[in-house]
Amino acid sequence: MAKLQRKAKGERPTFFRDPNVDRVVAMVMGLAGEVAVLHDRLDTAERLLEKSTDIKRSDIENYKASAKVSAQRAQWREQFLSEVLRIVEIEQEALANGDIEDYNDAIALVEGNSSDPD
Amino acid sequence: MSNALLPTAQAEHQALPKTTHDEFARQEFVRSYKQYLVKNVHGGNQLAYEQRIRPKFHKENKRDPKDRFEVRDEMINDPHYQMFSALLRTSQEMMWSSCQIPVQRELDSLNKKLNKKRAKPYGSLRLDENLTMPRYHTSVDIHCQPGGYHTEFSQQDASAGMVYDRAVHIYAMGQMGPYNNDIGASIALWLQDTRSEFKPLKILDLGCSVGHSTVPYVDAFPDAEVHGIDVAAPMLRYAHARAEGMRKKIYFSQQNAETLDFEDESFDLIVSHILLHETSDKAIRNIAKECHRLLKKGGIMVHAETPQYKGMKPFDAFMLDWDTRNNNEPFWARSHEIDLVKLSKQAGFDPQKEFETMIPSAFQIAEAKRSHTFQGGDFGGGGSWFIYGNEK
Repeated sequence: MAKLQRKAKGERPTFFRDPNVDRVVAMVMGLAGEVAVLHDRLDTAERLLEKSTDIKRSDIENYKASAKVSAQRAQWREQFLSEVLRIVEIEQEALANGDIEDYNDAIALVEGNSSDPD
Repeated sequence: MSNALLPTAQAEHQALPKTTHDEFARQEFVRSYKQYLVKNVHGGNQLAYEQRIRPKFHKENKRDPKDRFEVRDEMINDPHYQMFSALLRTSQEMMWSSCQIPVQRELDSLNKKLNKKRAKPYGSLRLDENLTMPRYHTSVDIHCQPGGYHTEFSQQDASAGMVYDRAVHIYAMGQMGPYNNDIGASIALWLQDTRSEFKPLKILDLGCSVGHSTVPYVDAFPDAEVHGIDVAAPMLRYAHARAEGMRKKIYFSQQNAETLDFEDESFDLIVSHILLHETSDKAIRNIAKECHRLLKKGGIMVHAETPQYKGMKPFDAFMLDWDTRNNNEPFWARSHEIDLVKLSKQAGFDPQKEFETMIPSAFQIAEAKRSHTFQGGDFGGGGSWFIYGNEK
C-alpha cells in the first residue's frame, strides 16, 4: 500500500533559542495524546464491565460513546491538559495577579536591607 | 437517546473514513488540546504583552509599538509566546497526523470505495490531468497538511480529501457544525436575509476543496445549478463522493480559479470560502477579474475571509498574523492588507457597490448558547465571518 507523506513541505518554524526545546514540547504533547487514548480505552472497558464481565476486544472496538459520555471525556481531557500544562498556567496566573516582583525584594525585606519599615 | 451526538460532534456520512476506538480517541484529544489552547493559553499572550513587553518598550522608546512588526520583534522573545506558539504548531501537526492514521490504514479500499461510480449520479466530476498546479500552491503545503491538497499518493487518490474533511472538524473544534458547512451556510443565510429578492439560478464555489461549504447552497437555493472548482484532484474525488453520498447535486471540475472554462456572464452567484489567502497577489487579481467576467448583470461575488488588519490594534494584528509564518500560510499577511475596493475596481466592478461586513455564523445562531472561541492567529468559530464582495 502506498505511504502518505507525513511531513508538510515547508521549513518548520522554531520558537525557542534551542530548537531541541521545540522538539521536546512536541514529544511531551505527543505522549499526552497517547495517555488520553489509553484513558478512553480504559474508560470504555470499565463502562462495558459495569454491564457484563464477559467482554471482548471487539466490544471495546464497537463501543460508541453517548453524548453524555463524550461530554464527560471532554471534561476529563480538559482537566488532564490543565495538569500536564500546569507550568504554563502558573505563569499566566502570576501575570494576571501582578505576581511579578523580583524575588530579591523578598530577601532584602527579611534581611533588613529593605526600606520597608516591617 | 443514548447515541445522540453532541452538537459539536462531526456527523458520520458515507465518504468520511471510519476510525477505530483508539484512532477516534487520538483525534478527540487533538480537538480538546486545541480548545484548551484557545481557552487557557492564548490569553496569556495579551497579559505578557501588557505587563512585560509594552511597559519595557515604552520605557525605552517613550511610546508604544506602532505596528505588528514592532510587536513581533518583542513578542518572539517572550517565553509565554514562545511556548504558546510551540504548542499551537504542535497541535496542528498532531491534527494532521491523527487524521492520516485511519486513512493510511485502509488507503486502498477507501480509494476504491470513493471512486466507485454510481449508476445514476446526482452531480458530476470532471478532472483535468494536464492542469498545472500553481506555484503558490506547491511552494509549501498549505496549513501544514502533508502533501497539500494536490499530491496523489496512489492511483485515483482521494486521501487528501479524506484527511481534510476530518481535520477541518478538529481544527474548528466542531464550531462549523456537524458537516463543517458553516461558512457557506452563513453566506447563504445572509443572502436570504439581506437580499430576499435575489434568487441565483447558477452558483459557483471557487477553491471548493471537499465541497463542505458548497453543499449548503444546494439546500438554500434548491432551484440553482451548483458548481465547485478546485485545482486539486484528490480533494475533488472526495468532494464528489461526499456530495453523492449526501444526495446533493453538484458539478465539480478541476480548474484554476484564475482561468476558468465557463462562458462569460454565466453565473448569478460566485463564492469562495477562505480561499483567497491561499493564492498570491497576482492570482487574487486574476480571480477577481474572472468573477467579473463570469457574473451576469446583477450577479454577486462573495468572498469569506478572516478580517482585514486595518483598524486593528498592533497587538491584535500581530496575533492574527500568526499563521503567516507558523502555519504555512505565506500569503496570509498580504491578503489581509489588500485594498479590497481597488481590487474589485481593477476587476471591472463598480467601487460604489463594494461591500465588506461581518456576518453572523449560521451555526452560532442555531446554537446561540455556544461559547465564542477564537483560535491562535486564526478563525475557527469566532461567532461571525468576514465577507467582502461586489455586485455586477
